Amino acid sequence: MPGWYFDKKELRITPSAQDGIDYKTEMRYRKEGARLIINTGSKMDLGYNTMATGVVYYHRFYMFHSFKQFPRYVTACCCLFLAGKVEETPKKCKDIIKTARSLLTDQKFATFGEDPKEEVMTLERILLQTIKFDLQVEHPYQYLLKYAKCLKGDKFFQTKLQKMVQMAWTFVNDSLCTTLALQWEPEIIAVALMYLAGKLSKFEVVDWIGRTPKHLRWWDMFVEDVTMDLLEDICHQVLDLYSQTDSSSPDSPPSQTPKTGPTRPATTPVKSSNGQERSPDQPPPVSIKVPPSTDIPQFPYQTFTSGPPPMGAYTAAVSAPPPFSTTGPPPVVSAPPPHLTAPPPNLNGPPPTASVPPAVFPYVSHPPPLFSAAAAVATGAPIVQPGPPPPFYPPTQQPPPRPYYGGPPSTS
Amino acid sequence: MQNNTNSRDRENNHHSSSSHPHVMNMREKEKYIETFNFPYCDLTTKYEKVTKIGQGTFGEVFKARDKSNPKKFVAMKKVLMDNEKEGFPITALREIRILQLLKHENVVNLIEICRTQASQHNRYRSTFYLVFDFCEHDLAGLLSNVNVKFSLGEIKKVVQQLLNGLYYIHSNKILHRDMKAANVLITKNGVLKLADFGLARAFSTNKNGMPNRFTNRVVTLWYRPPELLLGERNYGPPVDLWGAGCIMAEMWTRSPIMQGNSEQQQLTLISQLCGSITPKVWPGVENLELYKKMELPQNQKRKVKERLTPYLKDPYACDLLDKLLVLDPSKRADSDTALNHDFFWTDPMPCDLGKMLANHTQSMFEFLAPPRRVTQMRHHSIPRPTTSAVQDSGYQDRVF
Repeated sequence: MPGWYFDKKELRITPSAQDGIDYKTEMRYRKEGARLIINTGSKMDLGYNTMATGVVYYHRFYMFHSFKQFPRYVTACCCLFLAGKVEETPKKCKDIIKTARSLLTDQKFATFGEDPKEEVMTLERILLQTIKFDLQVEHPYQYLLKYAKCLKGDKFFQTKLQKMVQMAWTFVNDSLCTTLALQWEPEIIAVALMYLAGKLSKFEVVDWIGRTPKHLRWWDMFVEDVTMDLLEDICHQVLDLYSQTDSSSPDSPPSQTPKTGPTRPATTPVKSSNGQERSPDQPPPVSIKVPPSTDIPQFPYQTFTSGPPPMGAYTAAVSAPPPFSTTGPPPVVSAPPPHLTAPPPNLNGPPPTASVPPAVFPYVSHPPPLFSAAAAVATGAPIVQPGPPPPFYPPTQQPPPRPYYGGPPSTS
Repeated sequence: MQNNTNSRDRENNHHSSSSHPHVMNMREKEKYIETFNFPYCDLTTKYEKVTKIGQGTFGEVFKARDKSNPKKFVAMKKVLMDNEKEGFPITALREIRILQLLKHENVVNLIEICRTQASQHNRYRSTFYLVFDFCEHDLAGLLSNVNVKFSLGEIKKVVQQLLNGLYYIHSNKILHRDMKAANVLITKNGVLKLADFGLARAFSTNKNGMPNRFTNRVVTLWYRPPELLLGERNYGPPVDLWGAGCIMAEMWTRSPIMQGNSEQQQLTLISQLCGSITPKVWPGVENLELYKKMELPQNQKRKVKERLTPYLKDPYACDLLDKLLVLDPSKRADSDTALNHDFFWTDPMPCDLGKMLANHTQSMFEFLAPPRRVTQMRHHSIPRPTTSAVQDSGYQDRVF
């Protein structure tokens, strides 16, 4: 029985590593492929589970094949194509390719060859064999909601909890760009990123449903033998994403003919709407307050897509409900697409206790994690106990990537 | 710090050397695919085909021997994808996912998925086979053989295992959607296995008030429940229990009890057996899409017990059937209720089938059996209908 979890040593001797691709570059390729899956999926109104499943296939695939043998964007499309079918949200192969093409430069799209659909179809069989037909993949999202339901607190608790869960949700989204899903079970990732979100949003858990004297921490109820070191390590792997700059490493196969000037990175920073670029030594004014909704459309941060997300999506998101309003049906804007009416099958026993999954891909109604993180550092909040200050100041050249925005699947 | 810089430099150097990486050309890619040894997906050559045991539009099923263990037999079901525009069929993916989840004594066991060697001959595209534990018989095959005689205790064992399997899959939120005698396998030891999850899907109780919109073009016509025939799309486990009722009756009648040749005729046959379909016996039926479009015989009396008593003398059996063949799905017995029925808890108690089956050394499959007697002579010429599922075409119509 193969395991789908690897230790850090194994992650450094992947087929790509053996093919001469250094670790940092491989991590970038993984991130870029994951982003393409997420961006393509978001644009096609696919659910978060479909995208996450596709990303997990993608990471697993490259534990057996090298990025040199299989160009990453073709694989990314193939993974999303398969995940769509597995999660009962099928999309036509040609539509996925079309959408991906709109998100890629011509040079990057060139890896799809002369017959992109044929390329993806042939790859699908290789993908299936590689992942052992292990189609069912669980993600941290459901555990996030399950765990959140068990936490108890003071009178501001609900608001704070909601904010914390939204933040943790965003971290889970971003964790897809790391190899965390190859290292730890979704339960553990959920605990770690809730822990991180809790720290950053100053959310203190004092009590929880089902507590026994044995439980030192709330998560002792759900996971065993999870040390603080492990949690810190997981958090750092996500936070490290925010300190990376994409322009520092070269492009991958096929490489383009050098142009004059630096190559434009896939993720062009979106200029902040107020025309100010942030500098690292001047952290942005941080407030834990939720920004007034009128500010939200002018999102000043870099997005994962090469352009700003459509306005419509923002406005819809503003009116969207919090991720787990438990009262009544989620106020879906219009008739929901089929994938909402038929929730992804939860094949492992009863559905998660959080009975209402977020109606929309949760919108980040709080400052993006980086700024909160920076604030936490600035205020000396103990995110990391020992060692040097964590490396998540805003990068020098550009504003940090904003966690990708997943528009509400129900509009458009 | 100095160290860091060095390592950074090294990395950068590496980058530049790998910034024009070699991408495989078509030829190299083919070679790669041909020679790559997928660690988790064995070649079909580890098995040796013995005989064909099933055929349908989905492809073929073979009995095969495990070369490393000649006593071990498997059933290999081919995943046909020649005509698939959208790659690996979603129905096959569903079946695989569901079979990987369901591990139960009364559900067929998926051992693995094997591939054929990719080569020039198949345009470097492997064919896939689902490999199952081999079961010697299917119920349709057994019932069509007059030499196979079930005692009442043995019938109880069959039906009990059938309901047990349904209880398990429904607890796991899976609908089978293709219950029929041919999809019920029986090992030589008398263990029943639900098979063919090619039309199965996960369901959820619609908790946020949003009804399901499943296709109603499922289940082989003769076993299709009235709610599907009337166009219901928000259905659930009761669809499988209707089929279980049909199969249970067939244990005595030895052929399917309602052999319609069209949806309309199937509804007529159902009305003639279970009584007229009216809002009085089935509140809400008038809201079903096809209620007004179909011709529903009026003033039909319910004759389930009356018409089945000649075949099944056992009053408990009649009573259980009466509770399974209920028009209104919300009043139909679920598998738990059915398993608690006195039928299973009165003498003769359910008893092992192994002994009786030991008298039959030949495998009995519907595919291999001569056509079964058709009870209603007027449909003499019609072939056994197969599951019609428009959206699932290409992976259905199976005899297993």
